Amino acid sequence: MAARQYVARRIAQAILVVALVYIIVFFTLFVLPGDPIENKLTSPLNPLPPASAEALLAYYQLDKSPIEQFAITVGRLFSGDLGYSLVSGRPVSELIAQGVSDTIVLAAMAFVFTLALSLAIALTTVFAPWAALRNAAASLPIISISTPSFLIGFLLLTIFSFQLGWVSSIRDQGLVSYILPAATLAIAVNGVLSEVLIQGLRRARAEPFVTVLRAKGTGEGTIAIRHILRNGAIPSITVLALVVGELLAGAVVVETVFSRRGLGFVTYESVRDQDTPVILIVVILVSTVYVVINLITDLLYPTLDPRILRHGAKPGGAPAARPTRRQKVTA
Amino acid sequence: MKKNIWLAAAVTAVTLLTAGCAAQTPAASSDGGTLTYLDAEIATSAQVQESGTWQTRALQQNITDRLLYRNADSGELEPWIAESWTASPDGLTYTFVLRKGVTYSDGTPVNASSVKKNLEWQSRGDDAKGTTPNAQFPSGLTAVADDDERTVVVTLPEPYAPFLNVLTGWGAGLVADATIDASKEGQSKFVNLIGSGPFVVDSEVYGKEIVLTRRDGYAWAPPSSANQGEAHLEQVTVIPVLEDSVRLGTLKSGEGDLIRYVQPSEEQALADAGYQVVAATGVGLSNQWFLRPDAPFLGDINVRKALQHVIDRDAIVKNQYTESWTPATSVLAPGTFGYLDESEKFAYDLDETNALLDAAGFTERDSDGYRTKDGERLVVKTYIDVYDNTAKSLFQAIQNQFVEAGIELSLNELDYSTYWATAFADPEVAALRVGWPHPDPSKGLSEYYSADGSDLLGLAGSDATLQALLDAQNAATDDAQRTALLGQIQDYLIDQAYVIPILNDSQVFVAADRVDGFQLSDGALPEFYNVSVTD
Repeated sequence: MAARQYVARRIAQAILVVALVYIIVFFTLFVLPGDPIENKLTSPLNPLPPASAEALLAYYQLDKSPIEQFAITVGRLFSGDLGYSLVSGRPVSELIAQGVSDTIVLAAMAFVFTLALSLAIALTTVFAPWAALRNAAASLPIISISTPSFLIGFLLLTIFSFQLGWVSSIRDQGLVSYILPAATLAIAVNGVLSEVLIQGLRRARAEPFVTVLRAKGTGEGTIAIRHILRNGAIPSITVLALVVGELLAGAVVVETVFSRRGLGFVTYESVRDQDTPVILIVVILVSTVYVVINLITDLLYPTLDPRILRHGAKPGGAPAARPTRRQKVTA
Repeated sequence: MKKNIWLAAAVTAVTLLTAGCAAQTPAASSDGGTLTYLDAEIATSAQVQESGTWQTRALQQNITDRLLYRNADSGELEPWIAESWTASPDGLTYTFVLRKGVTYSDGTPVNASSVKKNLEWQSRGDDAKGTTPNAQFPSGLTAVADDDERTVVVTLPEPYAPFLNVLTGWGAGLVADATIDASKEGQSKFVNLIGSGPFVVDSEVYGKEIVLTRRDGYAWAPPSSANQGEAHLEQVTVIPVLEDSVRLGTLKSGEGDLIRYVQPSEEQALADAGYQVVAATGVGLSNQWFLRPDAPFLGDINVRKALQHVIDRDAIVKNQYTESWTPATSVLAPGTFGYLDESEKFAYDLDETNALLDAAGFTERDSDGYRTKDGERLVVKTYIDVYDNTAKSLFQAIQNQFVEAGIELSLNELDYSTYWATAFADPEVAALRVGWPHPDPSKGLSEYYSADGSDLLGLAGSDATLQALLDAQNAATDDAQRTALLGQIQDYLIDQAYVIPILNDSQVFVAADRVDGFQLSDGALPEFYNVSVTD
């Protein structure tokens, strides 16, 4: 079966990408100076007696060759032992679990906000009856792209936490605490999605099927939501994968501003301190998420447009190409 | 428009939701209340010997007690867990008689066996667990506990004069067997740090918050403490907030009671608005640059001396800092054991700098106005300190002052993790910032400048005078003799222009008006014991 082969090939590629990223990062970290143990050994603040230094290296098995260390680390990884942070001494599994459980809620909420915001901006830009409102909405994506997220975050904190006191700036109050950071992420990230959505809607609206529907007497609301939006939104699906990536990247900054300790924070801290065991797991995790999202996007296309499989066309090309083909079918 | 209505509905929904779950203010307690303290950094590992970060020590300070107490005002040693102590004249034997009735928070007694175990563990580390020795402690320490569990006799293989001061320090906190016997990873958690101090760790979420609660029945504070019983505060919540603006906003909104570090530009406005600004310089070595004689151009003492005189510290403090910060006056910070004011010797004097550089042969100027000798520009290479929040602007200000005398300060930047490994290994580097708090200055001076330590000056013992002074200070167990030696070391480091003292670094805290009794230890660490919060 072509479909099964296609899926199998894509999954194999995804696994290969994650494995390669892991290997590259592992050996790059070897070349870079400055992991916490090395810093401890070279710090002029605490010169260690040579015996203690040796014991320390042996404890972390840093006295072995890079290849041996790689084998040990990978062996442990497959047995489920993710090791311990070199900085905080916490099990990496614990740090990651704490980070993921936090960031997953944040990212999910931010994703929904982003979709809602982009839809609102795109629909207003394309369909609002007043030119002034349309123009104002059309400028929002550019503003979103060019405004740094920490600024948005600090603005929201100032208004809703410091001035109005509606939500704590430092304490975890359950789901409510996610609203401001999620809104910050959505405001910062929606730009590209909104822009692509606007283009899609504009293009779909100009197509002949709209005239046909209108001639059939279909209402404007139905045309906009059921037909134009459905056709015009397809290119945005490619962008959704990018949005997820941006949400994860944006979490690094937003979690710092909102004193959240999610995956973004874990990433920031581990990279800053060159905390190798933590970085390695973060790398696996983030690259897996990214690859899986891309995989899902690619696999989603055939269900939306079966010709991608039939014609053996490679998904993920220029988004503009697909609605044009779609137009022939619809019209 | 439909969409607008939808948006409006969404905003309303969000508003209602947030309003419904608005921030709860902590309930007022009958006694000293609760304190929400916002630190600027995350306390990472609670492991005692590795507690290298300030924010970790700040917690240990309040969770553990030490054998001796060093009074921040008088500088004198006072009894604490040891109610008395004696040292043998040869500096090899110390005897501590312990206070009765002291217990760790897990109920086990702070007795002679426990103290012996602590001291030997600090000195030795634990190779099997990957735990390194406490760098402040003497190597090869052995201790004997008496049968009554009251007296501990400590024997050192060679004299170590800083020993008593080290025992007062933040890293010398006594912990229960449960902590020492835990794995290294177990010891890293604050909930496993079992001390006998006025606060106990109730819970922690890594990087997010650590909740301290009052230790019931605490009755062994140092005698000079105003409070001799339990802490006033029922609870202290320590929350790291890394963004300066968020920390400040949270204090101003009333949700935080006490914060560490505000940008110097904010201090005055906060003081005017009725907040308490509490700042102190911890004991130890001042914020200083060492000058490496083997770096380009610095082999000539005249050039090194010129660099000492070119920095206008008063102008820097006035323009970039506040009253909480002071120009350094020696290699040691004021209040440190053996401190000697040396400020006259390196006072700002541009004429003197120019005369010294002329004498060193840097008489020509290149097209950029920098001094040259044999066609080579006078360049001093350094890296910007990664540990000090204010370092970048400080280094840039110094760079500008160097230009006044025609010296180029080449500023380089590294990130946090690569700083040690790269900056200190760079053979071109002429000056780097060192100087941090130490409970006793001798250890720090030896670590930095002795051939047996890190030998930051790269002298490899070639300066016999310096090496002899540094070696002698550890053996000088008589206080007067030690003070004299420390004075000579400070004199020598300044006279040879091996060191440029820059500033006395300060820890700056801002407390809301409702916070009473907040004070800092001699190491400028926060002490919550005497604090109360009134509503």
